[in-house]
Amino acid sequence: MNTGLSTLKRLGRHREASVLLMLFVVAAYLSFASEYFLAPRNLLNIGRQASVVAIVALGQALVIIGRGIDLSVGSVIGLSAVVAAVVIRDTGLESVGLIAGLLTGLGCGIVNGLLYTRLKINPFIATLGTLSVARGIALLMTGGIPVPMGGFAEFVGAGRIAGIPVSFLLMIVLAVVVHVFSVRTVRGREIYAIGDNPKASRLAGVDLKATRLFIFAFCGLLAGLGGLILSGNLASADPNLGVGYELDVIAAVILGGTALSGGRGSIAGVVIGALLMALLNNAFVLLGISAYWQVVTKGLVIIFAVALDGLQRGSEDD
Amino acid sequence: MPSNVIENTTGAPRAGHAQPLVRARAVAKAFSGNAVLHSVDLDLHPGEVVGLLGENGAGKSTLMHILSGGLTADSGTIDLAGEPVRFGNVGDGIAAGISFVHQELSVVGALSVAENLYLGRFPRTPFGFVDKALMRASSKALLERVGAGALDPEQEAGGLRAGEQQLIEIAKAAGRQPRLLILDEPTSSLTPHEVESFFSYVRNARDAGTAIIFITHRLEEALGLCDRLVVLRNGAIVSERRPAETSREQLIADMTGKPAIYDYKPRTIDEKTVALSLKNVSDGTHLEDISLEVRRGEVLGLFGLVGAGRTELLDVIHGVRSVKSGQLTLNQQHFAPRDPSEAVKSGVVLVPEGRKTAGILPQHSVRDNAAISSLRRFAGRFFSDRSGEAGRMAAFAKSLGIRMASDTQPISTLSGGNQQKVIFARALMAEPQLLLLDEPTHGVDVGAKADLYTIIAQAAERGLTVLMASSEVPEILALCDRVAVLSKGRLAGILERAEMSEDRILTLAFREH
Repeated sequence: MNTGLSTLKRLGRHREASVLLMLFVVAAYLSFASEYFLAPRNLLNIGRQASVVAIVALGQALVIIGRGIDLSVGSVIGLSAVVAAVVIRDTGLESVGLIAGLLTGLGCGIVNGLLYTRLKINPFIATLGTLSVARGIALLMTGGIPVPMGGFAEFVGAGRIAGIPVSFLLMIVLAVVVHVFSVRTVRGREIYAIGDNPKASRLAGVDLKATRLFIFAFCGLLAGLGGLILSGNLASADPNLGVGYELDVIAAVILGGTALSGGRGSIAGVVIGALLMALLNNAFVLLGISAYWQVVTKGLVIIFAVALDGLQRGSEDD
Repeated sequence: MPSNVIENTTGAPRAGHAQPLVRARAVAKAFSGNAVLHSVDLDLHPGEVVGLLGENGAGKSTLMHILSGGLTADSGTIDLAGEPVRFGNVGDGIAAGISFVHQELSVVGALSVAENLYLGRFPRTPFGFVDKALMRASSKALLERVGAGALDPEQEAGGLRAGEQQLIEIAKAAGRQPRLLILDEPTSSLTPHEVESFFSYVRNARDAGTAIIFITHRLEEALGLCDRLVVLRNGAIVSERRPAETSREQLIADMTGKPAIYDYKPRTIDEKTVALSLKNVSDGTHLEDISLEVRRGEVLGLFGLVGAGRTELLDVIHGVRSVKSGQLTLNQQHFAPRDPSEAVKSGVVLVPEGRKTAGILPQHSVRDNAAISSLRRFAGRFFSDRSGEAGRMAAFAKSLGIRMASDTQPISTLSGGNQQKVIFARALMAEPQLLLLDEPTHGVDVGAKADLYTIIAQAAERGLTVLMASSEVPEILALCDRVAVLSKGRLAGILERAEMSEDRILTLAFREH
């Protein structure tokens, strides 16, 4: 028991490396267990599945590094997709619809940020509220019936460039941009600072409210983008799109080594975490295990990842 | 190994107590190869108050943790009332009659004062319910013993001042009727009035036969209260003295191995240029009608008792707290920061009180900690100036004497004094016009204190204006050109250097009481 715990603690210290290792272990196992796993088609599918989770997780990672949490991303995915599809259907203008979808995501993020910074509502509760409100609006707008989605969104969601899914390429580009942003820019570094010690950061001159508003707005924007990609992939904007996505996204962020207590985490880790989540999903399909077990496993993965974080911090605090 | 000569001027133990309560011999302790205590011998007698002095890192807390059971010595023996003991944990120590009141407060905010006092050992009625009446009555008696009789046992503890919470901790320890009571900086957040009544509790406990160890950085208190003063330096006892036969200066020399820590030197002040002015400033709650001017290159002290509004006044200038009425000017310009970020942009920086809670970014490196206030100042069009930071850090590490292995190590691995120097580096790196200091040497050892005084004085010499809030009169006297004294949120008066004395400062501080 004791050696098990200390092994876990050691794992926790080199999180990106250990998650990468896990990724390889699962991949190696699957390549033996299923002949389809290494088929290019399957690998590209995994990449496509991972990309939406990863893109939304980039925003979520900044929120969690800044000591917040955004539970509303799944609903924002649904609402943004629905708004875009409805605007395209009603105006016939695709670009206007896509912009409306992104603005919906951004708007939801700004609402979250304002609830937190102006009304001082704990982000957990504030975003739990918007989770429900955004989903409700999506259902009201559509009467619960999916709206067709096509055109550019379909290209981004389902298309390929040189054989590689567009969404995967977009994810890689965004990950690089967010990584550089987080470690090189002033705002990026201030996000880490407010997550580490908000009071000290504020007294040192970091604009706490502006930084918090920024991370929630940015997370909302990326969730909106995720909604467009997901609905494009399915060629349909279902008002129930993205239900439960917050779980995958938060799991990817935490698995990737971001501390739930803030101040620590890396974008590379988040991308690896999202890939691992997609790989696990794929494993269930390939191995023909009941999808219900998938739901159970997702929960267990989150508990495992947070336990790693807790054990590591515990060893520092006690 | 330090070659320290032990000077013993105390001679024989107090008459009537031939057998010591605690007899520690050759106690040694090392952490991962670093020796923290080398062969310490210490006797503690019933009915004796021993002051334990030393810089941070001298080994005081390690020794106290060994005596109270929190740590086990690598070698050496401890006898308690003649019997050899070996504690496995803190519980063993408490069972043997040893109570350790830590410097960090552990009061549970959501519980009442009485519940805190009896936490873990609630008295019960025959039906198994908590006996609230008994708990209330005995709490009242306990609080009165330690000089906190004014506290209501029913009150929620979280709403109390730090000093009042400290008294609860002390009452909690007193309630266990310890044979040995260890007090680690118990007075750091008490008002002078509370200190007096707390001291009379300590004297009563001593007269009742309790052995007491009193750890403090305040030498005046140690000299006034203790029967014997033991100084630790680099893990060894370097002197044992009687208060009547020693002095502040001697003790500082024992602690640091150097003579006096800092003497005031007059400096050139730009008398004509007002750097900061406050006119009839009120915040609606803590501060009332405060008017004062700080001249460029001046170190203005801000003294007041706990609750006088020192921190609140700095908060107003730093944009943490908003002004209800009145006006501020900075360099003759209207100045009304709505947030510390605006104040920092205008060149007003703060070294806050409470290094752990309000100062350091614990998971960040030393360099990132130092750079956080000046990221915007040195940033290019898109990116922060990471390469320039290394150079600035190296320069400040040298000029402030920050001791570290590397500037990429986490700040939490540095000693308290070094951490505080990094917070100073953070403030100075932002190239400020006005430096606000709130208890800048709180909880740092004498050596680091002397360094910080030099840093402050040098900053002022270079023309930086400094406003320094402190609750320690010797600190004000060592550094300040003038002192503004607050009393219950009002400005009680401003003393010029020539008029400054401990007496006059304290008289002003009590004016509204």
